Amino acid sequence: MKRIIIIAFFLGSVLPALAQEKPKLYTIASPFERYTHYLATARFMGAVPMGSFKDNYIDKASFQNFSLSIEWVLRNSPLSVGGEIGSTYFEKRVPRALYEGSEGTISAVQTRTVSQYPVEVFSNYHFLPRNSQVQPYVQISGGASILDYTVYYGTLSSQDQKVRFKYGIGAGSKFLFKKDGTLGLDVRVKYDGTAYKYDYIDKGISSVNGSIGLFYRWW
Amino acid sequence: MFKKASFLLLIIGLGLISCSKDPISDLSNEESLVYITNRDKSANFTQYKTFSIVDSVLIVENARAGTSLDDIDRAMLQRLITNMEAMGYRHVGRKENPDVGINVSWITNTYLNVYQPLSSYYGGYWGGYGYGYPNYYSYYETSESSWVISMLDFKNPQTTPSGKTFNAVWEAQIRGAAIGDQKLVDKMADSIFGQSGYLKIK
Repeated sequence: MKRIIIIAFFLGSVLPALAQEKPKLYTIASPFERYTHYLATARFMGAVPMGSFKDNYIDKASFQNFSLSIEWVLRNSPLSVGGEIGSTYFEKRVPRALYEGSEGTISAVQTRTVSQYPVEVFSNYHFLPRNSQVQPYVQISGGASILDYTVYYGTLSSQDQKVRFKYGIGAGSKFLFKKDGTLGLDVRVKYDGTAYKYDYIDKGISSVNGSIGLFYRWW
Repeated sequence: MFKKASFLLLIIGLGLISCSKDPISDLSNEESLVYITNRDKSANFTQYKTFSIVDSVLIVENARAGTSLDDIDRAMLQRLITNMEAMGYRHVGRKENPDVGINVSWITNTYLNVYQPLSSYYGGYWGGYGYGYPNYYSYYETSESSWVISMLDFKNPQTTPSGKTFNAVWEAQIRGAAIGDQKLVDKMADSIFGQSGYLKIK
């Protein structure tokens, strides 16, 4: 009985305070409105191969892709600029088959892989004010991809490692968890292309990836 | 400060991701095998009727050589005979003027490899050194064994000043992690003949 009274007293003193909004003496725009601020995003991506990369090499979707980006959301501008680095990986197993080459006929189970570590700069154009809770944007990016092309014949491998130009265009939206908050969700669909020509790949590596990310912003 | 720290974290993360990939770890023993066959395009196999085979397997390891005839070697020789006979050739002794001879060897090569730091040393190369490639390399040794089976043309020897030599008209290599697996010997021998249909003479 005593305990209940104590709890009731406690609630009685706390709840009214919570329910009451702080009185607003004056209103001032949020710092995210007023200053250039930083925004960091971690993304998990699913990617689908496209074009001749899909037709000639790997047609299997990949879910082993990640990226991290940091951007500067510019003051008095719908633009933000930043850098993104990531890791993408495509793989496909081809059952035992015969391959005719200069060395003769090779019978093997083939495992085709491409890993890329893209390092890019990007710019976003936002359609709505930068402190609105939903912020759709379009994106253009360009940079280098540190790539590793490895085809395994059984356990034997044939490898090529290069650094190549890559670019991307995308569209997405940021969703703040709460108004004027610092955390939010980022959803993006992006086309990625890497200029690369080797062995099975004749017209570059292209893919469309959908990503879901978490971002944190600060100033 | 925060920027530096997050960049470092990022680099470490990438390093971990790149180290964990092993796309061929799920291959079964049988799937790991690679069969490579080649032939002399000018050879006409229908001219051969009989064959002989070595009585033991030649073991070549780097520069050393010897012979061996344990269970797996015996099984391999036996299965090669079965396949040659199925292709239409008659097995004869070495003294009976065979048209072709089958050589079987187990070759082990040891390689010295230079490790390419590009693939997984991001930490060292961005975090520690700034731009460019690192100025160090590491080395590791690997050895790989393979079965090499060749068919020598005894019917048309080449005469050279040093004596008679015989052309190899067909060669098969069996490579991969499981080539020492005795359960797979029959499969190996059948496969190299299976993909060389041109050997069939009847």
